[in-house]
Amino acid sequence: MDKIGIPRSIFYYYYGDIWKSFFDYLKIPYIISPNTNKEIMNIGLKYGGDEMCLALKTYIGHCAYLKDKCNYLLIPRIDNYGLENQTCTNFLSTYDIVNNIFDTKILNYNINLDNKETLKKGLIKIGTELGKPKHEINKAYKYAINKYKEKRKREITINTNKLNSKKIKILLVSHPYNTYDDLIGKEIIKYLEKENIEVIFSDKFDEKITNKLSEKLSKELYFKYSKENIGSIVYSKDKIDGIIFLSAFPCGPDSLVNELVMRKINTPYINLVLDDTSSFTGTETRLESFIDMLKGGLND
Amino acid sequence: MKDCYLGVDIGSISTKGVIIDDDNNIIAKEYIWTEGNPVNAVRKLIKILKDNLPQNHQIKGIGTTGSARKLIGLMLKANIVKNEITAHAVGTLTYYPNVRTILEIGGQDSKIILIKNGIITNYAMNTLCAAGTGSFLSSQAKRLGLKPEEFGKYALKSKNPVKIAARCTVFAESDLVHKAQVGYPKEDIIAGLCKSVVLNYLNNVGKGKKIEAPIIFQGGVSKNEGVVKYFKEVLNEDIIVDENSHLMGAIGIAVLARKNKIGKTYSLKLEDITFDTKATECNRCANNCELLKIYRNNELVDSWGSKCGKF
Repeated sequence: MDKIGIPRSIFYYYYGDIWKSFFDYLKIPYIISPNTNKEIMNIGLKYGGDEMCLALKTYIGHCAYLKDKCNYLLIPRIDNYGLENQTCTNFLSTYDIVNNIFDTKILNYNINLDNKETLKKGLIKIGTELGKPKHEINKAYKYAINKYKEKRKREITINTNKLNSKKIKILLVSHPYNTYDDLIGKEIIKYLEKENIEVIFSDKFDEKITNKLSEKLSKELYFKYSKENIGSIVYSKDKIDGIIFLSAFPCGPDSLVNELVMRKINTPYINLVLDDTSSFTGTETRLESFIDMLKGGLND
Repeated sequence: MKDCYLGVDIGSISTKGVIIDDDNNIIAKEYIWTEGNPVNAVRKLIKILKDNLPQNHQIKGIGTTGSARKLIGLMLKANIVKNEITAHAVGTLTYYPNVRTILEIGGQDSKIILIKNGIITNYAMNTLCAAGTGSFLSSQAKRLGLKPEEFGKYALKSKNPVKIAARCTVFAESDLVHKAQVGYPKEDIIAGLCKSVVLNYLNNVGKGKKIEAPIIFQGGVSKNEGVVKYFKEVLNEDIIVDENSHLMGAIGIAVLARKNKIGKTYSLKLEDITFDTKATECNRCANNCELLKIYRNNELVDSWGSKCGKF
C-alpha cells in the first residue's frame, strides 16, 4: 500500500497529531522524518532560496530526506483562517516550492476559510484520493479531531499551571516549528531548564483567548499565529519574570510583530534571532546574562 | 603580602586585563588587540600585567569574560567565568552606584543596560547583525586610510555631517563610497558615520527604551569622541565616559573574582604552560558536530561542541 511521508517541520507542529490519528484509523502507512539534524538542515540550505527563512529551509531538508522513502509527501497549502487571520506566505507557498524543487508526488489540500475550504474538507479529499470509503473517512476525521482536542487540552492545562510555579518563569514567544525543532529551539529550552527556569510556551494557550487578547497590544496584527503569540503575553504578563522572543532569520511576520510589541511592553525581554550559524556561543551569552538579571544575581 | 584579583575581558577585537585590590583600586591594567588569536593575546597581556605588578602582591582570584571567556577561563584556571553584560554592569556599579543607563558598544556586540536603585531592570543586545559596532568602524577607518583611534577627532572637525543610511552596514558602506566619490570632505563623511552609529544603536538596540540620566557610555567605541558627541546631541543628556570605560568588563569580572574567591593563590607564569586546541568533526551521527578539544600541558581538560553531550 502507498506510504505517506510527513516532514517533521512547520505544518507537522500544528497538524502532526491529527494526521497521525487520521492515517492510523484508516490503516494508511506513513513515515515521519526524524528530528532535524545537521544533515537534513544542510540539504535544506542547499536547495533553499536565499530569502527563505531558516524554518522553510529546514522543511525542504525534511522533504529531501523523505522523498525516496515514501510514495507521497503530505504538504497542505494554508492560505488563511478567515480574513482577519492570515498566515505567513510560507504556509501558502510551501507546496508549490517543494513541487518545483523535487520530482515527487505530493498529497495536497487547501485551507482557506475565506473560501470555505476547511481542514475537514481537506482530509476528506486526501482520504478519497487514497481510495477510502466516505463513511470511514468521516469516522477517522472525528477520531483524529477528538484525540487532538483532548491532548491539546491537557497541554494547555500543564502550560497554564506553570504560571503558578515558584521558579523564575520565562515565556518563550515563538512559533512551535521553531520552539520544538532540535536545531532551532530545543537547545535553548534545554539551557533554560538546566538553569532551573520554568519555561512557558506561547503556543500552548487556548488560541481563542489569546487571539482576542492580542488586541490589547495591537489591533492590527494580521497574522493568526502572531496574534496568538502576542496574546499569550497579555494573558501571562503579570505572572512571568521575563520574555524570550525567538525567531528564525529572516522571518517576516516576527520582524514586524515582535518589533512592534517590544516597544509596548514593560516586562524584561530578549530577542533571539537564529540562523544556521553553528555556534551556540552568542545565544548562550544572551541567555546567561538574561537569567543573571532575572535572578538578580548581579546585585548581591 | 597584599591580595589582588585579575580580571580578563577577551573580546573579538581587543583583550583587556586589570588587577584590582580589595578596595577596587586598579594596580595594573592593559589593553591590547586580540588579532584573532585569544590565546596568544592573553599570553601577551598576562606578561605585561605581571611585569607591572608590584613585588608584595599575590593574585587570589581570576575571572574571565568576553566572547573567549570559556577558553581563557580554562587556560588561566579562572575561579569565575561570566558573560560580559553581567561583568559590565558589576564594573560600572562599583564606581557609579547611581547610574541609570549603560550604553555599551564593543567590537561585535552592542548592548544597553537599564538600572534602577542599583538593580538591573532591563537590557537589550544586538541580534544577529553587528551593524554599527567597533569592527565596522575600524574597517571603515582602514578604508579611509585612518587609524581607528584618529576617527573621533576627525569627526569633531566637521560642521555638516553627511547623512548615511543607518539601518545596515552594507548600505552604509555603499552610501559612504558614494558620498566620497561625489566629493564630500572626509571629516563630514566620518562625522556622518559616527552619527549613523548612534542612530543605528538607538533604533536597533535601544528600541524606544526610556534612557534616563546618569548615562554611562563604555566599550571600545566610547573612546571615539565623535560617537560620544552625537549621543549627547541626540539624547540631549550628558554622557559620562570614564577614563577606564574600555576596561569596565575586566574590572567587573575582577570584582566578581574577588567575591567568589576560593582561597587559592594563582601564579601568572604562563611561559611553561602549553595550551592547544584541536578541532575535529564527529561523524558518529547525522549532526556532524564540530568538536573542539582543549589541551592544557598536553592533557585533555575539556571538549566542546557536541549536541549529545557524550564527547
